[in-house]
Amino acid sequence: MKMLRRALVAMGLAGTIAGILRVKGKGGVPPQEGGWREVSVPPK
Amino acid sequence: MTDVSSVVADPAADPAADRSADSLAEAPIVGVVGCGVTGSRVVTHLVAAGFRVAVFDVLRSVAVAAARPARAVVVDRVDELIQCSVVALCQPAPHAELATTFLREGTSVVSLSDDLDDTREMLDLEDLTHRRAAALVVGAGMAPGLSGLLARYLASQLDVLDELHVAIHGTAGPACARQHHDALGQTAVGWHDGEWIERPSGSGRDLVWFPEPVEANDCYRAALSDPLLLHRSFPTASRISARVSATRRDRLTARLPMLTPPHATGDLGAVRVEARGAVASGERLTVIAGVAARTADVAAAVCATAAAQVARIGLPAGVHALGDDTIDALDLLHHTTSLGVKVQEFTGLGRATSW
Repeated sequence: MKMLRRALVAMGLAGTIAGILRVKGKGGVPPQEGGWREVSVPPK
Repeated sequence: MTDVSSVVADPAADPAADRSADSLAEAPIVGVVGCGVTGSRVVTHLVAAGFRVAVFDVLRSVAVAAARPARAVVVDRVDELIQCSVVALCQPAPHAELATTFLREGTSVVSLSDDLDDTREMLDLEDLTHRRAAALVVGAGMAPGLSGLLARYLASQLDVLDELHVAIHGTAGPACARQHHDALGQTAVGWHDGEWIERPSGSGRDLVWFPEPVEANDCYRAALSDPLLLHRSFPTASRISARVSATRRDRLTARLPMLTPPHATGDLGAVRVEARGAVASGERLTVIAGVAARTADVAAAVCATAAAQVARIGLPAGVHALGDDTIDALDLLHHTTSLGVKVQEFTGLGRATSW
């Protein structure tokens, strides 16, 4: 019973921390500009 | 024994061939070993370029199927191709032993092999090529091959080249897929700050953006020969790495036999080369180029272009990689694009990755 209670507390703590990180964390922004364009390679 | 010099178009089969028969009779003969997904395309390109082509495959029916529509000749034994000006090795690796056989007879060789150990063995043939006055082009496929040409193209935009990073996606025929599978189970090599490093394949994940329609794929270290060849071509670059795209299943099963049979005709592939360095003003610059198309189409275009260059213009005796300054890489890249390979350049801001 004591073991189960500890496990539940640990899971609850982990969930709370993960939730805070998800809301407050900075995940970075993927590139918003640029892309691929075809280029011509001139002959010699 | 088949006389490969008798490789001429059959005017009865195609009247258009009649007018070119005379000039064709004078054309250099190119041998092709291995007529699988990539080899058969190499045959088509070479015949279209006006070469006489002789082909060999361990499965004669495969060689006949590749040769008949292209009006090439099929030989019964691989050593009959010694008469050719150059021989393109398109069969599954290893190529070193057969390359040695041709080079001993003074026949130049272009190899598609991307196997790391096989490439090392072929690089060791430098002395033989000089003794027999023949050229050996190693890694004339998509990667290595086109990766070297793109690296040279990007390096021409920089005054100082510091780093080269290659990423590849996709496979050509079944043999290429097996090679890709094996590469993820062996030790990867990279050039890092002046020394060779060895890392487990499947490590070093990086999300790589290839040209459309391949786009984003997770890529990992693998036993690829690109760093080996690019270091030869660009000895001043302090960091050179190569990665290959892989799924979780690819990585998990890399040390086991292939669980599912590979694509019979290959699939869509891509290669992306990132060069980092500086321009004359000292400003740091990252330039990126890539190609996305069917892997076999790209590899065949590069191999056929390299073989045509050796047959028509020739190369100095020695072992060459396509990024080497002994090869006119930009001219070769131009001819590769004329075979339908579309080179693309990334126009956004190149950002440093974890490489």
